[in-house]
Amino acid sequence: MIRTWTLLRMNGLLKSHPSAVPLPDAALDGRGGDVGAPSLSRIVDARLIASALVFSLVLGLLAAFAPSFFRLNNLVNILVQTSTLAILAIGMSFVMIGGGIDLSMPANMAMSAVLGALYMRVGHDPVTGSAIMIVSGATIGALNGVAVAYLRMIPFVVTLATMTVAKGACIWLTNSVSIAGLPESFGDVLLARPLGIPVAVLATIALTLLASTALSFTVIGRWLYAIGVNERAARVARVPIERVTAMSYVAAGLSAGVTAVLLAARLDSASANMGNDGVVLDIVSACVVGGISIYGGIGRAYGAVLGALFITIVSNGLNLMGVSFYLSLIVKGIVIIGYVALDGLSGKAP
Amino acid sequence: MTAEPFLRMDGVSKRYPGVVVLHEASLEAYRGEAMALMGANGAGKSTLMNVLGGLATKESGAIFIDGQPVSLRSPREAAANGVAFVHQELSLLPTMTVAENVHADEFPVRGGLLAPEIMRRRTTELLARLGSKLPTDIRVENLSAGDRQIVEIARALRRRPRVVIFDEPTSSLTAWEKTRLFEVIAGLKRDRAAIIYITHFIDEIFATCERVTVMRNGRTVASAATDTVTSRDVVHLMLGETDNIVRLGKTPAGDAADDGGDVVLQVKDLSRANVLKNVDLTLRTGEIVGLWGLLGSGRTELLRALIGLDAIDQGELCWSRNGELLSITPRELRRFVGFVTEDRRGDGLFLPLSVETNIALPSLPALTNWLRLIVGKKLARLVHGMMERLRIKGSGPKQPVGTLSGGNQQKVVLARWLATNPRLLFLDEPTRGLDVSAKTEILKLAVEFALAGGTILIVSSALEDLMRVSDRYLVISRGSIVAKLPGATTADELKHAVSDDSSRSEFRP
Repeated sequence: MIRTWTLLRMNGLLKSHPSAVPLPDAALDGRGGDVGAPSLSRIVDARLIASALVFSLVLGLLAAFAPSFFRLNNLVNILVQTSTLAILAIGMSFVMIGGGIDLSMPANMAMSAVLGALYMRVGHDPVTGSAIMIVSGATIGALNGVAVAYLRMIPFVVTLATMTVAKGACIWLTNSVSIAGLPESFGDVLLARPLGIPVAVLATIALTLLASTALSFTVIGRWLYAIGVNERAARVARVPIERVTAMSYVAAGLSAGVTAVLLAARLDSASANMGNDGVVLDIVSACVVGGISIYGGIGRAYGAVLGALFITIVSNGLNLMGVSFYLSLIVKGIVIIGYVALDGLSGKAP
Repeated sequence: MTAEPFLRMDGVSKRYPGVVVLHEASLEAYRGEAMALMGANGAGKSTLMNVLGGLATKESGAIFIDGQPVSLRSPREAAANGVAFVHQELSLLPTMTVAENVHADEFPVRGGLLAPEIMRRRTTELLARLGSKLPTDIRVENLSAGDRQIVEIARALRRRPRVVIFDEPTSSLTAWEKTRLFEVIAGLKRDRAAIIYITHFIDEIFATCERVTVMRNGRTVASAATDTVTSRDVVHLMLGETDNIVRLGKTPAGDAADDGGDVVLQVKDLSRANVLKNVDLTLRTGEIVGLWGLLGSGRTELLRALIGLDAIDQGELCWSRNGELLSITPRELRRFVGFVTEDRRGDGLFLPLSVETNIALPSLPALTNWLRLIVGKKLARLVHGMMERLRIKGSGPKQPVGTLSGGNQQKVVLARWLATNPRLLFLDEPTRGLDVSAKTEILKLAVEFALAGGTILIVSSALEDLMRVSDRYLVISRGSIVAKLPGATTADELKHAVSDDSSRSEFRP
C-alpha cells in the first residue's frame, strides 16, 4: 500500500506550470472555432451559383424550344400565376424562420375561399366576403399557432391534422361542387390592371414589402429569427417564445386568406380542390429555393417570392416545352432535393 | 495487494483542434480495488475515460491491461478487452424493456431470430448478481433513476468485465439507491474487478474507494491511497494553488453579515425535487455574492430555478420595487435579471446572428417608434454605446457573433444584459474558456457594475476568479446553502468549506 502522495511522473511538469493553463474557448465547447464566416459564405455562394445555373439553363432551353415563353402576354401570365404561390410562400417564410412548418396553408386557403364565396353568393357584398376569407385564414392559422406554441404540439402533425380537417370541411360544405356566381364587382376590382400591372402582382409586391418590414424592423420579427436560431438561448434572452411562435402561424394563415381572395377572383369561383396536395410542396420548395432554411433562423421574405417565381417558371417552361406533367414533377422534386441538400450543408443542420 | 497495477495508462495525450485536453496523463488501477478519479470541470477525466472506453482516440501514450499493451479504438474493442463503461444514466433506450436494454449491443439470436427467453434468463441472472429483482419485461422509461442505473450496470457486467468505469453514478440517486450501488461496487471488488469511480462528491470516495487519482488541466497531478489523505487534500489538488489573488474593486468586509445595502432579492425555502433543498438567500444592492460549490452541487440549477428556466416545487421570492419587497414568481423575475449562462454557445448566443441583434434582443421593445417599428438610429446608438463601453473588438455591429473570439463573445452576452439596465445579474462561469486578459476584463466589468449599485450573484469553478470579485460567499453543496462566509475568507477556508461535507458519516462505517 502506498502511504504517501506520489506524484505520477508529473512532478516536473507540475512545477513548471503551477497555475491553471487557460484553455481556449474551443476546448470547452467541444467544437472548434468552426462557425467561421468563410465556410458559411461559401455555401451561400454555392446556392446562388446553383440558382443562377439552373435558372439560365431553364431560360436557355425555353429560348431554344419554346420561344413563345418570352411573349409579354405569357410573362404577365407567369407573374399572375406566381403571385398565388408567392403570397403563400411569404406566409410560410414566417413559420419556417421560426423553425416550424405549416402544411395546412393550401387547405386553409381553399376553406377560406369557400366560406367567403358561400357568403357572397347570398350576401352579394364582395368587401365583407373578402374580409371573411382573410379572417377565416387568420383564425385557422391562430388555431395552429396555439396548438404549436402553447400546447407544445409538433408543427408537422398539428398542421397535417388541420389540413385534413379544413379539407374535409370544405368538401362537406361544397359537396365537391365549385361555388360559382360570385358578384361581378368582386372579379372586376381584383382582375383590374392599373398601368397594365395586374392587381395580384401589385398585391404581391406590397405584401413582400410589408413582410420584409415585419421581419426586419419589428421586435417580433427579430425575435422570430432568434427563436429559429436557438430556442433555448431565446428563452434565456427573455423572448416570449409562445406569443412570437403563435404569431408566425397567424401570419401564415393571413397569407392563406389573402391568397384565397385573389385566387377566387381569378377563378371566379371557389372550390375544395383549389388547394390540392401538390401546392404544399410548391410552397416549401419556393421557400427553400429562396434561401429560407428548413432548420429555421435564416431567410428573407423576398427570397420566398423569388423562389416562387423560380418554381413557377420551371413548371410553366416545362409545360410550354411539351414536357409531360409527370416528368415536370420529377424535375421539380430533384431540384428541391438539391436545394435541401445545400441547406443541410450550410451547417445549420443538427 | 497486487504489486503490479492491473490497468496502467501511461503518458496519454489528446488534443482537440487547437487545444491539448490530455497532457501525458497517467492512471493505475488494481484488481479488487476502487479508484476514485477526481478533477474539477475540464480537468480531462472524462476524456481520459473516453479513451479507456474506446470512445475517443489518444494521440500518444500506452494502455496496459494485466501487463499486456492493448489497443482500444472503439467501444467494441474496449469491451473485448474487458473494459465496461457505466455511463452517467440515460444511455438507455427508454421505450425498450430491461432485458432488451441489457442486450442492446448484442441481441442473442437463435436460427436468425431473436431469442427472448435467453435474453430474459440472462438478464434475470445478471440482476440477481446485483441484488435486484427487477422484472425484465418492464420498459425502462417506467423505472426510477436508481433502477435505471442498475440496468446500466447489468449491461456493463454482461461481458464479465475486468475494468468497470462508473461516471458520476450517484448524481441522481436517492440515499437508499446509493447504499445499494455501494453494495454492488463492493460485490464487484470481491469478484476482483478493477473499478474506476468518477464523482464530484468527495465524501463518496472515502466510503467506497481504496485509492484516489486527481487530475487538473489535462494532467494527472497525484495518486494515493484514500486512508492517507483528507478531503481537504483532495480539494486542494483539484483546484490547484490559489496564491497572488489580486482583488478588483473594494476590500471585502470581515464578516458574513448580509445587512449592508437594501435588499434586492430575498428567497425563502426554495426547493426543486432532487436538485435544490430549502434554499434561503438575500441579495443586497452593490454587492457581488460568490456562489461557491463544486460541480454538481446545484449552482447552475439554483440560478436557473430563480428565474423560472426550471420549475420549482416550493419557495417564495421577494423582489424590491420602489423600496418595497413584493412577492414575485420566478418567471416574472426573469424580466428583471440578466443571466450570463455557463454554456455560452449553447444557450447564451445566437451564433449566426449579428453582434447587433445579439446585444439588442431583450432591449428591442424600448427601441421602437409609434408604429412599433425598430428605429435604426436608436438601435445603432445602443449597440455602438455598448460596444464602446465593453470594448468589443470586431469588424462591426453586423459581424456574426460566432466569428468573434471567446472573450468578445462573452462581452456581447454581458453587453446584452447591461443594455437592459438591470439591478441584478447572474453570472454563471463568466470567465470559462477565456484567456487571462479577457478574464480580467470581464471581472472588471462586473465590479464596475456593482460599484454603480448593481447586484451580482456569481458562480465560478475558478476559485481565483471568484475571490477576485466576491464581497461574500454562499457555499452550496447537494442543493443546499451550507455556509455563508465573509469576503475576507481565505482560499484554504473556501476549499475546506466544500470538502467538509457533514454527510460523510452517512457512508462511512
